Amino acid sequence: MINALRWLVFAIAAFAMNFPILVTLVTSFKSTRELSTNPGLWVQAPTLDNYLAVFQVSDRLNIFLYLFNSITVAFIGTTLAVVLALPAAYAIARGRLGERTLLPFIVNLRAVPLIIFAIPLYMMFQWLALLDTRLGLGLILSIVNLPLALVILVNAIRDLPGELDEAALMDGASRTQILLRVIAPVCRPAIVTSLIFGFITAWNEFLFGLMLTTSKAVPITVGASFFFAASGGGVQWGVASAVMVVGALPPVLLGLIMYRQISGSMTAGAVKG
Amino acid sequence: MGKISLRKAGKQYGTVEIIRDLDLEIADGEFVVIVGPSGCGKSTLLRMIAGLEATTAGQIVIDGRDVTEALPVERKLAMVFQSYALYPHMTVRQNMGFGLKLAKLSSGAIKTKVDAAADTLKLTPLLDRYPKELSGGQRQRVAIGRAIVREPVGFLFDEPLSNLDAALRVDMRLEIAKLHRTLGTTMIYVTHDQVEAMTLADRIVVLKDGRVMQQGTPYELYEKPANLFVAQFIGSPKMNILACKRNGDGQLDLSGQGFLEMPLRSDAVPVQLGARPEHLSLVAPENGHCRGTVEAREYLGGTTSVFVRNPELGLINVSAPAETGFGIGETVGIHIDNVRLSLFDAAGAAVISSR
Amino acid sequence: MNAQRAHSSEFRLLAMPLVLFLLVFLGFPAIVNLIYSVSDVSFETLRQPKITGLSNFAAVWNDRAFWQASWFSLRFGALTALLECALGLILAIFLSPLIERRSWLMAILMLPLMVAPALVGLMYRLVLHEFAGPVPYYLWAWFGTSVSFLGPTSAFWTLIVVETLQWTPFALLLFYMAYRAIPTEIVEASAMDGARRWHLLWYIELPLMAPTIVVALLIRFIDGFRVFDNVYVLTGSGPGGSTASLSIYIYEAFFKQGAIGKAVAASVILFAVSFAVLYGLNFIASRRKGALT
Repeated sequence: MINALRWLVFAIAAFAMNFPILVTLVTSFKSTRELSTNPGLWVQAPTLDNYLAVFQVSDRLNIFLYLFNSITVAFIGTTLAVVLALPAAYAIARGRLGERTLLPFIVNLRAVPLIIFAIPLYMMFQWLALLDTRLGLGLILSIVNLPLALVILVNAIRDLPGELDEAALMDGASRTQILLRVIAPVCRPAIVTSLIFGFITAWNEFLFGLMLTTSKAVPITVGASFFFAASGGGVQWGVASAVMVVGALPPVLLGLIMYRQISGSMTAGAVKG
Repeated sequence: MGKISLRKAGKQYGTVEIIRDLDLEIADGEFVVIVGPSGCGKSTLLRMIAGLEATTAGQIVIDGRDVTEALPVERKLAMVFQSYALYPHMTVRQNMGFGLKLAKLSSGAIKTKVDAAADTLKLTPLLDRYPKELSGGQRQRVAIGRAIVREPVGFLFDEPLSNLDAALRVDMRLEIAKLHRTLGTTMIYVTHDQVEAMTLADRIVVLKDGRVMQQGTPYELYEKPANLFVAQFIGSPKMNILACKRNGDGQLDLSGQGFLEMPLRSDAVPVQLGARPEHLSLVAPENGHCRGTVEAREYLGGTTSVFVRNPELGLINVSAPAETGFGIGETVGIHIDNVRLSLFDAAGAAVISSR
Repeated sequence: MNAQRAHSSEFRLLAMPLVLFLLVFLGFPAIVNLIYSVSDVSFETLRQPKITGLSNFAAVWNDRAFWQASWFSLRFGALTALLECALGLILAIFLSPLIERRSWLMAILMLPLMVAPALVGLMYRLVLHEFAGPVPYYLWAWFGTSVSFLGPTSAFWTLIVVETLQWTPFALLLFYMAYRAIPTEIVEASAMDGARRWHLLWYIELPLMAPTIVVALLIRFIDGFRVFDNVYVLTGSGPGGSTASLSIYIYEAFFKQGAIGKAVAASVILFAVSFAVLYGLNFIASRRKGALT
């Protein structure tokens, strides 16, 4: 009895929280004609026309470019964050360097409204000719990803026994050798987690994409909104839904495959940070 | 070669002194065990010798070379850690060869050395396994193998057996003793287990609060403890400590509970008497040096520990024959073997009898 | 050579890339922020800012929209944090027996966390659209009436619901983990002591989860306070600036009005307040850590 109630609550919660995703998914399979008569939650005549339309490149809309931009900036933003965070995490966890300065500062960074840095970065990028470039957006996304990557990696290294480092010291390894040959391979799960997490975060980022790109480096989150104002008339909801499904799919798939790691690291980042 | 000397070595964390003015000479090929209660600084001392902890005062000299400031690897020592600290992502072979690889030896030379060490430790069939696929004892042997391949001038062991179960611990103890006989290399071994210390050591160093309380052969420490601390630390079950006083007749007055004939140097002022349980025996009440009531008995198989309560002297542990007839509540006499007891003055230092 | 000193210098070297990166991409912007906040500057005079003192701060201080945006951000952050954590806590504890045996249920509940907030905002434009949206459609069909969800009276609450529905899973996940981490021995011991289900919840489980609850409230408040993406794509700042968060206020001052000095001054204020509050919280947390563990 109580279990049936639990299932009911689960169903309601899952339905309510996933409602917009569900509506978008359903709508993306509706034809333009059906859309005007049936805004409901079912499809009378499923069609892929909207997806075909989304992948039609015009001079105003180019979803391939947006997806490519998102992949590139997420890749830069994620790998750079981990490449910078790993040695620093090692220095913090083992060298006890910056435990009370660098670490809290970077952790706090995660909680600061990002808009604060957006304006000076906009101006700086103008001078450096990094506006509307994938490299520029990727660099900024790595700042967004740094705090969580650092917390995950510091925690992972702290969890390793210090005797592991000492054994390597006795074997004649330098700190850099220990990091590369012992710590990094042993911490691979944590590194993979920060990469996945960073990729999802970077892919889903909107503010910097909106501010720092205009055409060449527009990521999918910003590009998707272009489809809402596509034609002079009203929004083509079918096409708009299809583009949102396409834009949401990569992080959702990644999240579904890796949700165990992600749930673990979310708690790590939240509680231990 | 493997002569290791500590000269007035010290270690300070902030204002806390862990090790203080410590002098220790370890001869080549000697097996030295450092024991002490937890927090006495024994692990710190070992790690200072290894170069994993900075030495903040004094010198550490290995084979005539001052290595106080040297990197761990420059000291040519190898260490076996309590948790083994095997590299989890490397096979046994890679674990053992890692140090040689860092020293840029050719892969052929590494293979020869690893194979030889594996052969000594019977690890050959396990060479391609990962640490997680090994039992505790096997991991321990890999950790030792990793130390051997580097052909160090000395081995450092940091409580290497404390993660093993009791039976395995005995086996590994024998194996380490055998290894020392085979290699003849200097070994420094830290443990809190005095059985390990007694069985393995050529020489035991007892440490307390960062100072050496006594050093000597296991026999010396057991039979002639230099002070109350060592007397109680070495030996299981623990030595009984009884309050006593020297009276005018040159006898020892056991807090008014009895007397003991004891030829003493004229200047000796003992206030406590230490007697190991096996140096006491139970006799009829009227025959003993003192008497008391049996409060508890612990049958240990080979012997029975009888705990006798004396109103002044406290609880006295007597090692009796297993089948001893004295029952709980009975009044018994205790005979003290006055040849093998120890006496201590008010400062806890041993008082030498004139014998 | 001193071995220990060699190591600490090697550690410093390892941390160096990160520190340099932060100095360039955060330190430099911070200085630019500070200079521009006391300058008269426009897009034309970006390279020649004229120092004018605190007039930008005065402009922000006297701007009604700034206070309106601050109030929106505070209310939005507080309300969504409370709602998300309350819902998440109830769901986590109530659904825990189901999820324990079938962890894929958690994957379904976590799904909204994977979708970009900007996309979720756009999705709600469809969901709530008066002709194409299913919510107004069903309201008309079943109740013969509907609500102007993004109109002046309901926009705020619509945004609260949108944010809450997307981020409740985050609180749920944290609470579920914390709930599962309660040692079974403690639960069993309290059962031996005769604790009923409610006693158990009230005296054992909730106190043990308290640190996580505080952390979740804090994180969700912060994210709600600095909200931008979903609000921006759903309502812009309208109607009539009523749904402008501080982030949106700064963005619009900069991009729509070109009021660089004002935007930057507002960022500096926000930056100072955020870091003061965060360091204050860190300080309290480190002071209390000893008491808790």
